[in-house]
Amino acid sequence: MMTDLSSALMICLPELILAVGAMLVLMLGAFGGERSTGAATMFSGAALIAGAFAAALGPHGTLFAGAFHMDQLAAYSKVAIYVASAFAVVMGYGWMNRSNERKFEYPVLILLATLGMSMMVSAGDLISLYISIELQSLALYILAAFQRDDARASEAGLKYFVLGALSSGILLYGISLVYGFAGSMGFTQIAHAIAAGGANHGVVFGLVFLICGVAFKASAAPFHMWTPDVYEGAPTPVVAFVAAAPKLAAMVLFVRTLSMGFFGAHEQWAQVLLVIAVISFVVGAFGGLMQRDVKRLLAYSSIANIGYALLGIAAGTQLGVQAMLVFMVLYMIDVTGFFACLLALARNGRPITQISDLSGLKGSKPGIALAITALSLSVLGMPPFSGFWAKFYVFKSAFDAGLWQIAIAGLVASVVAAFYYLRMIKIMWFDASPAPVDGSPSEARWIAFACALFSFPVVLIALHFLDQSAGLAAASLGLH
Amino acid sequence: MTIGLAHYLAVAAILFTIGVFGIFVNRKNVIVILMSIEMILLSVNINFVAFSAYLHNIQGQIIALFVLTVAAAEAAVGLAILVTFFRNRGDIAVDDASMMKG
Amino acid sequence: MPLTAIAFYLLAIVTVVSGFMVITARNPVHSVLYLILCFFSGAGLFVLLGAEFLAMLLVVVYVGAVAVLFLFVVMMLDVDFARLREGYAQYLPLGLVVAAVLLGEMVTVSSAVANRGAAAANATPQAADLHVSNTQSIGQVLYTDYIYFFQAAGIVLLIAMIGAIVLTLRHKPSVRRQKIHEQVGRRRRDAVEVTKVGVGEGISE
Repeated sequence: MMTDLSSALMICLPELILAVGAMLVLMLGAFGGERSTGAATMFSGAALIAGAFAAALGPHGTLFAGAFHMDQLAAYSKVAIYVASAFAVVMGYGWMNRSNERKFEYPVLILLATLGMSMMVSAGDLISLYISIELQSLALYILAAFQRDDARASEAGLKYFVLGALSSGILLYGISLVYGFAGSMGFTQIAHAIAAGGANHGVVFGLVFLICGVAFKASAAPFHMWTPDVYEGAPTPVVAFVAAAPKLAAMVLFVRTLSMGFFGAHEQWAQVLLVIAVISFVVGAFGGLMQRDVKRLLAYSSIANIGYALLGIAAGTQLGVQAMLVFMVLYMIDVTGFFACLLALARNGRPITQISDLSGLKGSKPGIALAITALSLSVLGMPPFSGFWAKFYVFKSAFDAGLWQIAIAGLVASVVAAFYYLRMIKIMWFDASPAPVDGSPSEARWIAFACALFSFPVVLIALHFLDQSAGLAAASLGLH
Repeated sequence: MTIGLAHYLAVAAILFTIGVFGIFVNRKNVIVILMSIEMILLSVNINFVAFSAYLHNIQGQIIALFVLTVAAAEAAVGLAILVTFFRNRGDIAVDDASMMKG
Repeated sequence: MPLTAIAFYLLAIVTVVSGFMVITARNPVHSVLYLILCFFSGAGLFVLLGAEFLAMLLVVVYVGAVAVLFLFVVMMLDVDFARLREGYAQYLPLGLVVAAVLLGEMVTVSSAVANRGAAAANATPQAADLHVSNTQSIGQVLYTDYIYFFQAAGIVLLIAMIGAIVLTLRHKPSVRRQKIHEQVGRRRRDAVEVTKVGVGEGISE
């Protein structure tokens, strides 16, 4: 479908806003120096919100010979990603102010990483898949090592980079095999080639490599090695960013690639995804039991949650995709709230990271303690919190698709995982506090409260709307 | 004996394996790991160019071009992160960097 | 075509052997030099396949920029490389087994793709468009059909630039820097003062 330039530009308006916005912020920072960080933050937030509106209201269509799809699925994910990124920008600004290191590059890199994710969810061929993943990952590697005088941050950045670059290499090798098999990079052409020639060894092998590469970006086990280290070492607002939006982008990329390009090989990739999902929630549940650091604990929790979300994709049905989309957005809200709570907590000027440091929080910070409790209950899947509805949808779609053994394994894993959240809640409410906690910064506190309120009771009202838009988004893939 | 597509793919496969092997055995030496990653990307490029030539289709060369670009950017970022790591620790050994474990 | 076969085997062997030397050389400077050799012979393979433009780019970008960057970092960081080889022998046996399995699988699969994929119909490498040179045929599509990727690649490079600067550039307060605007804006009256000096008096501030 050919479109003229002005309507083509309208279709990719969200990306244009982000790219131009990032460059303007960069110029502002380059000339204004450190003083302009506040303005850069505000401008970046405004660009993200404007991008979200453009994505929600803008026209849909396919551009660049099928390399760029703007449809309901892309619009849904873009709005969620942009909003999550805007939260990360705000949290990062407060954090930089407190650590006295105001860098205007932080919002610029967040904007560029968001641009990469935005291109990921719109990717319609293998070249745009690769370039958008790299765009996002390079910005995230830099952000992870952003606190350059901190040995742990640079170690986190280095590990993230090395494993990430290796996974990109594996992903590319898979792409090259698929290209050699199908003779083209476009998802539609690949689908034709598979329909004509069947899914032979070459394409399945290439697809497995491709899945491994994307699974790494989504931090699904057994490609999760970087996750705990990056969560622990990187600055907290960066982790809040890495933990939310990129996961959704990677999952949507998964869905689009697998269902638009490789639906003919559904049996093969569903098996691979199920194996990854089972390993993920087992590793996530049991790995989390031994952790003492809250951020590492959340890393294992995220691995398990990606496993649940993968169940929705593996089902290969429209309902499964819809469940995955609802699950990921509810999870993003929970995890953003969690990290906002961590940002809000400090003792003697040092951020609280150990689980044991949370003891007696009910006395010193009842609000934050309540927020962490609500978010924990939500992530572990306790009704009526949002996490329960998220898991309910995913497991229901897995049961409907006949994956009941796997779904039961997932339920068992989530019971095991419940233990570590409950332990955290017990430490907060029933143990004695060793020392008073510092006053918490307002922006982190408000974000934490907002997310906790969303997990219950706002979710009961929002869920209907969320489910509806996820349904529309899932329908745009043309599955059954 | 004529040289066919499979020959080029075999060279690429060998180079890819050498790259993965290099990462596996040189766990501590990040610089060699980065070079191994560059070799992996070269092997992928050989694959792309070979397919492009035998498919009579320019697309493979275009993506190889972008892979080259991104690989150069990746090398720059990787080395920058390595330099900050070195400044903080005075060493580049990653494996015994046991500040974090688990 | 024996000449092509000879050239292919020569280049392929040099590529593989130098690639192997990259990961086994004791001195990282040697590793970088082997990497350069590996890329050079890889570029030769590209020429054999008719991708002259990419071959040239590989030489310019890799040998000219990336390998030199590696060389620069290897020499800049004062690292005891002997110590980094600890554990090398320990991982070697398992690594060899894994590598052998991986290699076997990959060669099998790639020959399957070569024989049964879309490329199986064509026995010889050939340019997509026979009427123009390789560079021209890339140029014809790069800025038109592939403009989206071209722009995206530009942003990737921008990110790399921002990253390298934000991570490594330091303004040390102890280092005196050139202030060009002050140099240019300097007037004679700021620098030189003409005073009348009486006989036997000297000058004081």
